[in-house]
Amino acid sequence: MSGIIVAENLCKVYRRGREEISALKNVDFHVDEGEFVSIIGPSGSGKTALLNVLGCLDTPTSGTLRLNGTETRGMKESELVRLRRQNIGFVFQQFYLMPTLTARENIELPLLFSRKTDNKKRIDEVLQMVGLSDRGDHLPEQLSGGEMQRVAIGRALINDPKIILADEPTGNLDSGTSGKIYELFRKLNDQGRTLVVVTHNLELARQAHKMYTLRDGRIAGCEEMDY
Amino acid sequence: MNFLTLAAKNLLRRRGRTLLTVLGVAIAITVLFSLLSLNSGYQKELNKEVNSLGVHILAVPKGCPYEAASLVIHGGVIPKYLTATDLDNVRSIEGIELAVPMLMHQFIRKDNKTGQDVPHIVFGIKIDEERELKPWWTVEGRYFTDNETRVMLVGRGLADKENLTVGSKIPSGPFKDFAIVGILNRTGDQDDQFHFVPLTEAQRVFNKEGKITTIAVKVRDVSQISRISAEMERIPDIQVVTMTQIMGTIMNLAGSARSLLLTVIAIALIISAFGIINTLLMSVNERTREFGVMKAIGASGLDIGKMVLAETVFITFSGGVIGTIAAVVGSRVIEGFVRGMLPYSPRGTMVSLSPELIGFALVFSIALGIVCGIYPAFKSSRLTPMEAIRSGVE
Ligand SMILES: Nc1ncnc2c1ncn2[C@@H]1O[C@H](COP(=O)(O)OP(=O)(O)OP(=O)(O)O)[C@@H](O)[C@H]1O
Ligand SMILES: [Mg+2]
Repeated sequence: MSGIIVAENLCKVYRRGREEISALKNVDFHVDEGEFVSIIGPSGSGKTALLNVLGCLDTPTSGTLRLNGTETRGMKESELVRLRRQNIGFVFQQFYLMPTLTARENIELPLLFSRKTDNKKRIDEVLQMVGLSDRGDHLPEQLSGGEMQRVAIGRALINDPKIILADEPTGNLDSGTSGKIYELFRKLNDQGRTLVVVTHNLELARQAHKMYTLRDGRIAGCEEMDY
Repeated sequence: MNFLTLAAKNLLRRRGRTLLTVLGVAIAITVLFSLLSLNSGYQKELNKEVNSLGVHILAVPKGCPYEAASLVIHGGVIPKYLTATDLDNVRSIEGIELAVPMLMHQFIRKDNKTGQDVPHIVFGIKIDEERELKPWWTVEGRYFTDNETRVMLVGRGLADKENLTVGSKIPSGPFKDFAIVGILNRTGDQDDQFHFVPLTEAQRVFNKEGKITTIAVKVRDVSQISRISAEMERIPDIQVVTMTQIMGTIMNLAGSARSLLLTVIAIALIISAFGIINTLLMSVNERTREFGVMKAIGASGLDIGKMVLAETVFITFSGGVIGTIAAVVGSRVIEGFVRGMLPYSPRGTMVSLSPELIGFALVFSIALGIVCGIYPAFKSSRLTPMEAIRSGVE
């Protein structure tokens, strides 16, 4: 099976004291390059757990994960860091911007970590892409929720990753603003990027190519949309 | 943007806390810097003071208290005496360039204005030999000759204090009516405070005919000092004190006072180090999730650790700079304070501000930052991104 994300038989067990919680139970998950995939499911069904494993923020208890052709099992932390840097952009529900940095600097931050400094043109390009050309010098506290999420998306884009993983990116936004964010996602997808987006909003989820439903740690269904 | 500006911005987020931590470091560095500068200044001044005697070895009467040596430097009464025979014996030793006899004596004279009894020191000297021993001497007026009577030289400091001028006469005391033929120009050492008369005159006034208190010896080759002092030791009446011994004694006395001070410094530094570590751990814990996010967007553990370390070094280095400046500005105050605690203080200024010392203080402050930052940095770098992001969410 080829594909940019190929996960087989993923299990994730969390330990809370003596209690063991299986957040993921034998999940097979396959995403082709250029696909836009939604994940929905009730709270506690393991959506975040899955996304974190796919993004190498967390290691699966068992199972295999291939990203862009690279097997991640047994990778060292430093190799995982490089893999994340080169292939994956993350977007979170709470935005998680650095409060001390301006929009511009927040977007620039991953460049600092990947040692690509002083790429002013690239930052301008990304600001433009997320529609914030005139907000670059604002601090997060001076931005609206939708604008903050755009900054976060810009930050995820700056290293030009093939894959964008977003965990309830519109969970804190009103429906109008959410729609705009999804427009942006579709634009990014049109440019060839692969997107995996977790959401509670069925209407938004239907804007993707495919919609997976998670229930109790298992994939309970997959629906293909006419995009 | 780089790691330093990132660190600086984070520190500015908690201005008050950062400022207090910086101040803590600054105080510690001030104390450290002052003490070190004082230490080196003290040694330097002491060296200068002893060397200014122009003497390598002193011979004093046997049975004298050991502190006699420091009496000779600062003046006082030595209760026992050497004779001309001792002088000849010393002179016969091979390798001695000069052996100069002196009679040092204390006397009391009523002060003209206050009417109080003031102790003074007088040296009976052989003028030519003394000048050979102290070639830096210059005089306003003239020197006396060895066979003149009722003549005197005084140090500039003394002359100023007592309003003595060339040509005036001593108004009272055992040297009443001695004419001041010359005033020694300032030497910067004890000679500024002393009276000098021909040796025979001193012996006559104090009824010590043929007696001397000290033989000051200058050797031809400094490396011969230990051999020559050993030979002098064999002369029955003589106790030998080398200048290195004098310095050693004084340094030992001062050493114990200094080690007490150093202990205080060490404690101050340790306390401030723990303060820094505590502050850093606090700010690291507060930002756990932030670090997790940074990892998610491509930071390695090393990057996070580096950032935390940069913040610490930033704090301690600023503290170091402020502390050093404060120490330089406040050195007078500190010197006064420390003078009171040391058993013997040289006259010159003791605080010496060498560039090396400033460099050391700054390097030390950076090292302090690295030491204090290493644990918080290590701790933050070890977080897995998931743990970090989840922390504090629910
Ligand atoms: N670090 C953890 N320690 C213990 N249990 C955990 C941990 N992370 C997740 N879980 C558990 O795993 C299960 C799946 O959690 P997950 O966060 O993936 O749910 P979710 O589908 O994202 O829910 P939501 O829609 O509320 O975000 C839950 O029962 C949760 O309590
Ligand atoms: Mg979730």
